Formats: sequence, C-alpha cells, structure tokens
Amino acid sequence: MEAAAIHAEHAHHHGPPEANRSSRVEPQLLGMLLFIISEVMVFGAFFTAYFFIRVVNGDQWFPFNGDELPKLVAGVNTAILLSSSLTLHWAQTSAKNGNRFGLKAGMLTTFLLGFTFLFIQINEYIHIGFAPHDHAQGSIFYGLTGLHGEHVFIGLTLLAIVTVRAFRGHFTPEHHGGVEIPGIYWHFVDVMWIVVYTTIYIV
Amino acid sequence: MAVDSRSRTSRRTIVQMVVVGTLASIIGVLWGLYIDWFPVQGSTQARKIDDLWDLMIAFAVPVFVLVVTVVLFAVKEFRMRPGEENLDGPNIHGSTKLEIVWTTIPAVIIFILIGYAATILSDIEAAPANAAQELKVDVYGQQFAWTFKYTGADGKPINTTRLYLPEGQSVKFNVHSKDVIHDFWIPAMRMKIDAVPGVTTSYRITPIRVGSYPVVCAELCGLGHAVMRQTAYVMPPAKFNAWLASKSASAAAPAAGGGGSAAAAPAAIDAKAIFTKGNGESVACGSCHQLAAAGTPAGGIGPDLDKVLAGKDAAFIKTSIVDPQAEIAKGYPPNVMPPNFGQTLKPAEIDALVQYLVKSTRK
Amino acid sequence: MPAAVRHAGWTRATTFTVLGIAFSYALSLGARAGLGYDPVLDGEAVLQISLVTVPFFFLVGLGLFDYWGYYMSGRPTRPEDHSGHGAKSWKSYLYPNTDHKVIGIQYTVLSFFFLFVGGLFAMLIRAELAQPGRQFIDANTYNGVFSVHASILIFLFIIPVFAGLANFVLPLMIGAPDMAFPRLNALSFWLLPIAGVMMLGSFFAPGGSFASGWTAYAPLSDSAPIGQVFFTIGVQFAGASSIATALNFLVTIITMRAPGMSFFRMPLLVWANFSTSLLVVIATPFVAASQFFVLLDRALGFNFFDHGQGGDVLMYQHVFWFYSHPAVYIMMLPGFGIISEVLAVKSRKPIFGYRMMAFSLLAIVALGFTVWAHHMFVSGMQNWIRVPMMITTAIIAVPTGIKIFSWLATLWRGVLRLDTPMLFALGFLTMFTLGGISGVMLAMIPITIHVSDTYFIVAHIHYVLFGGSLFTIFAGVYYWFPKMTGRMYDERLGKLHFWLTFIFFNATFAPMHLIGLDGMPRRVADYADKYAGWNLAISLASFGLGLSTLIFAYNIIASWRGGPRAVGNPWRGLTLEWQVSSPPPVFNFDAIPTVVGGPYEYGVPGAVHGVFADQPPPVVAAGAPAAKTPTDE
Repeated sequence: MEAAAIHAEHAHHHGPPEANRSSRVEPQLLGMLLFIISEVMVFGAFFTAYFFIRVVNGDQWFPFNGDELPKLVAGVNTAILLSSSLTLHWAQTSAKNGNRFGLKAGMLTTFLLGFTFLFIQINEYIHIGFAPHDHAQGSIFYGLTGLHGEHVFIGLTLLAIVTVRAFRGHFTPEHHGGVEIPGIYWHFVDVMWIVVYTTIYIV
Repeated sequence: MAVDSRSRTSRRTIVQMVVVGTLASIIGVLWGLYIDWFPVQGSTQARKIDDLWDLMIAFAVPVFVLVVTVVLFAVKEFRMRPGEENLDGPNIHGSTKLEIVWTTIPAVIIFILIGYAATILSDIEAAPANAAQELKVDVYGQQFAWTFKYTGADGKPINTTRLYLPEGQSVKFNVHSKDVIHDFWIPAMRMKIDAVPGVTTSYRITPIRVGSYPVVCAELCGLGHAVMRQTAYVMPPAKFNAWLASKSASAAAPAAGGGGSAAAAPAAIDAKAIFTKGNGESVACGSCHQLAAAGTPAGGIGPDLDKVLAGKDAAFIKTSIVDPQAEIAKGYPPNVMPPNFGQTLKPAEIDALVQYLVKSTRK
Repeated sequence: MPAAVRHAGWTRATTFTVLGIAFSYALSLGARAGLGYDPVLDGEAVLQISLVTVPFFFLVGLGLFDYWGYYMSGRPTRPEDHSGHGAKSWKSYLYPNTDHKVIGIQYTVLSFFFLFVGGLFAMLIRAELAQPGRQFIDANTYNGVFSVHASILIFLFIIPVFAGLANFVLPLMIGAPDMAFPRLNALSFWLLPIAGVMMLGSFFAPGGSFASGWTAYAPLSDSAPIGQVFFTIGVQFAGASSIATALNFLVTIITMRAPGMSFFRMPLLVWANFSTSLLVVIATPFVAASQFFVLLDRALGFNFFDHGQGGDVLMYQHVFWFYSHPAVYIMMLPGFGIISEVLAVKSRKPIFGYRMMAFSLLAIVALGFTVWAHHMFVSGMQNWIRVPMMITTAIIAVPTGIKIFSWLATLWRGVLRLDTPMLFALGFLTMFTLGGISGVMLAMIPITIHVSDTYFIVAHIHYVLFGGSLFTIFAGVYYWFPKMTGRMYDERLGKLHFWLTFIFFNATFAPMHLIGLDGMPRRVADYADKYAGWNLAISLASFGLGLSTLIFAYNIIASWRGGPRAVGNPWRGLTLEWQVSSPPPVFNFDAIPTVVGGPYEYGVPGAVHGVFADQPPPVVAAGAPAAKTPTDE
C-alpha cells in the first residue's frame, strides 16, 4: 500500500492520456442501452409472475371476484403518456437544431404530461376498489403497474433535471447528450407501458 | 528469450501415459463399482437408479483420470529445470483436428448418458400394469412431521404418522403440504419429491424388501427441519392388509368412551415411550424437547422441559400439549410445535403423558 | 455547520446516517398515523424502511452522489480535475475514489474480509456437525449461520472479488486509462459494504438471522422472522453493485480498447469478463425481482406466494433460478479467464485454440440461460420441463470440456514454472473437473431425484466454487500480487498454502459425496447416528482447511508491508498490464499503447503484444502471425 502511495507522488501527471475510441457507439449511449436491458429483465420477472398466475395456473383474470380494471381511463392515460414521447422528440430535435424555445417548451410539456400520467395512475389506485392483499391477481396488477409507476417517477426526475438545464441554456447543437440519453430512458418507459397496458388491461 | 528446442516429448511418453491412464481408469472404475455408495435397495426404483449410477461411474472415472494423468505427465515431462529460466515453449496455436475430436467425443458420451437416463426416468415413473391395485397414500407435510392418509376397506380415511407399506406392491404417494415446502424422501427407495403448498405432487415406488427405513424431510422447512425424520415399515402384503383392516375397525369405532381415561386403558400406557418415540401416530416429544428423565438430548428446537415445566401444574402441561400456542416459552417462536396432539394422542395417553411430565419435572 | 459535516467524508456520512434513521421513523410514523394503523410506532416497519433508505443517506453523506447532485441542480458542468485519482496513503482506501486501481484493491480486500467471515461461519457449522445432537448452537442459529455463510460467500466474496481483480487489471489489459464510468465504479464498490453489514447485522434482529438458506424459498421466507428482510434487501444492494460493475465493464471493453486490439486480440480474461458481464446484466434483475416479491409479500401483504389467495409457490423458484443458475457461471467464467492468463504465461505457450476458448465462453453464456429448472427436478413443477432441461444442462459439459482440454493442450510441451499461481491453476484443473463430472451426474434426472438436497449437492457446489472458483481466485491474487502492490509474495509460504489447501479441501469435501449418496440431507443441524464417523472426519479436515487460510493471510499481509520490491514484469508476460511499472502509474499509461499482435505469442523471439510510443518498434520474427499495422476494430 505504501509503495502505491510513493509511486503516486512521483508519477505526477496533469491528467490521463485520452482513451482510444474503439467503437463508434457513445459510451453513455451504450451504458443507457445496457441499463435498459437490465430494466427490461426486471419487468420480465414481474411478467413471469403474471404468466404463472394467468397462463400456467389458468386462473381467471379481471373482471375477477367483482373487481374490474378501468380500461377506458387507463386508455386515456396511455394516450397521454404516448403523446409525451412525441413532445420529447420535438424537444430533442429542437436541441439538435439549436431551437432554444422548442427545447424548453418541449421538455416542459413532456414533464407535465408525464406528471399527469402518474397523477391519474395514483387516482386509479384510490378508486379501483381492491387492494394487493385481496388476491394474487391484485398483487400482480399492483406489482406491474407499481413497478412501471416507479419507473415513470425515475423518468420524471431525469426529465426535471433536463428541463432545468434546458432553461439554463446548457445544451447546444454540439452538446446535447444530456437531452438524448435521458430521452431514451423516457421512450423506454413509454414503450414498457404499452406492453403493461396491453397485457394487464386489454388481453 | 530462447525457444524450446528440447525434444522431450517422445512417442515413449505418450505410450507410458496411455498405459498408466488405462490402468488407472480400469482400477478406478472397478473400485467405483465395488464401493457400496447407497443405502440398501428398498425398491425396484432403487435398482434402476443404482444401475444408472454405475454407468455414470464407468464414464466419469476415465474422464477424471484423463485430466489428472495429462496434468501429472505434463508436470513430470515439461516442468522448468535449472537453466531453462529463459526458455519458451513452441508457438503452437491450436489444432482443428484435436478440437473437433474433443468436441465430438464428449458430445457423443453426453447423448448416450442422456438417452439412458431418460429411459430410466420413464421406467421408474411408469404406472404398474394393474393400476387398479396400486396402493394410494396421501402424504401431508407440516412443520415438523409427516402424516399419512390411507383409505380403509370401507372407504373411510385412516390417518397415521407411521408409514406402513406392503412388499412387492406398487405404491403411489400423493404429497401435500399444509404450510411451507417440505420434501418427502425415503433414501432406501431413492425417490423424493417436494411437498408444495397448493400443489399435489406424486411419485410411486414398489418396495422389495421387508424392513424399516428412515423417512426424511429433504427441503429446508424451518427450525425443526433436521428432526423431521420418521420411519417407513415395509411388511409382507398379508400383514399389511391385516394392519389396514385393524385400522379401519378402530376408525369405525371412534373413541366412544370420551374422556374416560381409565375405562378403556388396554394396558398401562408407557408415557415415557410416547415421549421418546410417539404412539405410532403422534410425533415424539423428545425429538424437539430436552427432558432429563427421558434422556432426550438438547436439540434447541423446543424449550428444555426440565426448565420450563418446573413447578407447573397438570392443567398447564395439558394445555401446552393440546394447544401449544396458548403460551409460548420466552425466546422461542410461535407456530413451531404441531397443533394436532389433541388428535394424534388418545385422551388416556395425554393424561398419562401429563402425569409423567409432572412427575419428571418436579424438583 | 462545521466543515467536517459540510464536506464529503465519514463525519458527514455518520451525520447523514443518523438523519436517515430519523427520516425512517418520521416516514413510518407519518404513514401509519395517516392511514390509521395501530400501533402507530411499529418496530418492524421502521426497520424495513430504514434498511431501504438509510444506505442512500449514508452514500450521499460519504459523497458518492456529490458530482451528480451538482449536475442535477443545474449548475454548469465542470471539467474533471483528476484530484480524486490514485491513492495517497492507506487512508485513501477508506474513502470513495474514482481510480480503477484503488477501487480494485478496495474490492479485493473487502471481499477477502468476507471470505474470512464466511470461513469462520463454516468452522462454526462444522463444529456443530462434528457430532450428532446439539454441540454449540441451537437449530435456529444453525440455520441462520449456514444461510449467512452461503449468502456472504456468494454475494460478498466470489462475485465481487472477481469484479475487484478485473477492476484492477482489465483497463490495463486493454490499454485504457480507466473504466468508462469511474464515478459509477466507485458507487458500485460502496454498495458492497452496505450489503455486508446488512447480512451480518441480521444476527441482531429479533428472532435471529435469516434462516431459510441463500435460496430463501417462499413461502418459508414469507413467514420467517424479521431477520429475513436483511437478506431480501441486502441482496438488492449486492445485485445493484454487480449490475453497475458489469455495465461498466461492457462499455469499457467495447468502447475503450487500445488501437489495434480487435476482439480476437483481447486477452482471455477480458473475454471472460465480457461474457460474465453479459450474464450479470441480463440475469441479475431476476434475483432482485424475486426478492422484491418476498418483500412485497412481507411488508405490504401481497400474495405472490400465498396459494390460499391464488399465489404460486413454484414461481419463486423459477424466477430465483433464472438468475441463480447463470450466477454459477458468473462465479466461474472470470476464473476461467484467470486460469487462461496464468497457464499461458507459466507454460510459456500460447493458449491452445484461442478462438474456441472465446466462443466456448459465449456458448456457456447462451446455454446458461436455458438450464435453470435443473435445480427444480424434484420441486413438483410440470414433469415435461425436466427432460429438455436435462439435455441443455448436460450439453454445457461440451463447451466446458473444450476449455479443459484446451488448457491441457496448452500445458503440453510448454516450459512449466511450478510456482504458486501455477500450482493453484493445476489444482483448479483437476478439482474443477471433479465438480464438473458430478455436475453431469446431477443433470441426470433419476440421480438428482435421489441426491438433490443432500450432502452430495454440498460436495458438488464446493468442488465447483471452492475447488473451482476459489482456486482461480488464489491463482489470480498470487499472480497479480506484484502488479497490485509492487511487492513480491513469499513463494515458499505460497506453496505451503497451496498444498495444505489442496489436501484439506479434498479431505473435507470428498467424503460429503459419500454421506450424501448414503442419505444425509443438507441444511440440518442434527443427523442420524450412522453418519457420525464421516462427519467427525469432515469437521477435523475442515479445521485444517480453515487454518491453511491463515498462512495465506500472513503471507499477503507480511509481503504487502515488507516483501521485496517487484519489477514491472516479473513473469515476463506479454499482456499490457505487465508492460507498465508495478504498481502501475496513476494514469496507467503515458500514452495509449498500440496493439500489434495476439496476447500470448510465447515461443516467438521478440514478439510483443503492444508497442509504446517511447519504445523502439518491435522486431517481428518470421512466422509470428498477426503483426499487422494497427487498425481500428
């Protein structure tokens, strides 16, 4: 340990050599994609639980035991979340083109749409009429939508950061990775919701 | 950096290695077949599984010997000797031919083994020709005891904690759990299956040897997992049928005497035996509880009765047996002691046990 | 506010930890009062909330999130000044650091601490099992001890120690100045002590430690005392650490290789960690989810595993093993990488069949996802799943066999240096073969029906994880010790360590095959009298095995403090990490080297793997392949 320390004193550098880029892919982009693979697998495990209850055991799905899922409200909510992906895309394109107003307005709209989604989702929980401990179907419903809601929350946090930085003017057409990378995560959250909505509410 | 120009590998080395390896393999396989690996063969299933094991030994030993022989010969032939500190081996990168060989041969061996194992699997699970005559036993796992349910001649259920099996007849176990996952295993029969809450699992055996064999819980099921051990008794079919008939009779005439403890007492009840071994239906108290008078050792699962019952009256002890949750000894978790002693012990036996415990723990 | 509290460090971490506990109390009280629960103060609720939130308070206090907090608050980006790079004294290792070499040593040292803790638990287990009946600990403590033994050694020793060794050498090997995400790397490390503290701290929980095994099967884990959540939540932190590191390795390997280092010029250790990281990123979320289910069942009354409410008990095992079978390869593949490095250098020969070695790693990764249900042959799952799983399981023996035979061929005609790393590598070859053979036996369903949940399984897992993984870890630690510390270890003590370990390892675990086949179940505090003889012998041997580890500890500590100084390349290795000083410079390289050939060109005079700007161009011998002009992949 001491040897390492002594060496550190002697080998004084101003900084490390610049790393070679052995791939065209941006490290941040690749990291986010790998993280999303991990996230997909978490959802995969929850879908496994769903699969076992509904397919392997062949238990009845909603409407079940007098409990129903509000397909219509959730459908409207889906539309809200999907439109947030469009506004995000607008913001990202604006960032690339140097359109400051488009970036700011796009980010703000996206954030508000996402927030509305989460708000409606929580409202749905309050009015849905059954609890996770009523039956396994309830556990799966709350488990999957709750897991997704948590991801919306993480996504909103990222969007909030991007929005604040957008308003402070930290992004330029050359430097907009800070918009792109969290944006990918938000798109993932949206796509995941389509899968959740289809399997839980529709099928 | 000099490159190795030694020509130490000769045909002779290879021949030596093949000879040593072959000899070691033969000796190893013979030894492996000679060793008595398993408990006694208690069922037809055991015979088949043991055969598969022998086949595994016949393939496994040579593979292991091959690896060890090559390592040892490499060490013997090619280890660095003084003066060779700067020597390198030859720059060999591989050999497609060899790689094909050592991909193909293991693959072939693997498929032989898989094929044989699949055949054995279907054999040991096959239903007997006369399926109607198969004995069906329901097995219930509960922390920390097994109970068994037979169907009497009159179609009424017979519950017992002793597992009796007829020799030479196929038996199908339907395994259930009342709480967590257990695993119903009779090592001498080689078969096991988990007892899963909410699922009925099953396997079948055909016992081939009269005798008594341990029944073991093989899946960690909590505090008393280690002592969840009972016995299976395999008996000649005639004797088994007589037992079943006697059980049906006693089940048909339930304890009509009610609480009359002295009335029906067939003989003096041996309370100590019930404590240490159970009455044939109940679990033995001594498998969890320490009691100096009975000589049962400390297992740590249930409280030490010499301590917790010291100075307690008969009523307290009786409640503790029949309704174990009524009062839990300090430092011990609830829901561990089976709640069914009120059913598995006859009232007279409970009274005898209470008297015995009062006497044994009196200071 | 005093400066010590304002600046990142241990004072602030302690303050924040206290704040976190206060926050958990407040949250629990507020929520329970708001929802009208009685009593308002519930110890278990506070404990569960604390286990989730307090670690984050601690990490924020320690300064792991300072940079990100700065960014998140919307302040302008600041360029990295590299002031946090490198260790200035031994104290630097007690603080977050972004240097991969510091993190590598932090990881390795901490994991070895847990090896010794886990080993002590093993000694306790063997002391209890030395005779039938109760010796030292009651059944509840016993169940807790073996559960913590397994959890600690899997989640806090084997998995992270490989990450530690790779953290140190992998960036050097591929010619990178650091990992791709140094701050994430630091965070990954600091998640580990949290998981460790939780698992050890579980012994202080009311009702004792978690006692349902490292597999934590539901519904036993659903109804176990509160100690169980220490595992449930601890695993989340260990798992998050693993995923973050794997992601970091993958990005580093893909985007930061030196010019000229194509995928097929990477040392096999890099290949091994690439494969492992793929497994971690894809599989680890499943163990996280399985524990989420248990936590939701316990804390919020969900019914994932309550069959009375329609839950499915077997689903736990499917989800758990979908991670935990690949986890076996997560604990093995990096060891394969270490062995490839050691055998090539110590035999002075190129790895035989390099490409097949790389492809067989990928084959194991792919097959590793298709075999999980072989842990469930007697679980009562659908019968038809068994035979397909038997086939895929047995087929894994083929790529594994390719590796074993290629290593043997690498030895052949080499010039074998039989020093400590090499002895452990050879010990690994033979012992892992035994573990692999019993693995093939276990793939055969009829045999598994008899031996599952017996000591045969205990023997198999220890031949694979001790004779397999731990031997490779010892080989790797001895092999890179000079590089990591700048000192040489004591060769005589190293060899003594190997021989004692090798002998006592076999004396301990080989007889377990016998008692397992003979009918002794695993995870029991007590056993039938007929197994008493073997158990006593096993216990005695295991104490010898425990003592042999002390020699290792002494050798490492004494050599680190006062061993002879190591030169940059004591083994005359060709891979890049040996071309820099020992220990390496703070920023690894003055300039990134250019890779001009394969990593194992032994036997070609003057062959080099990479060239440095300040060195003369290499002499390329006739017949040396692949010394082309550097090209980008």
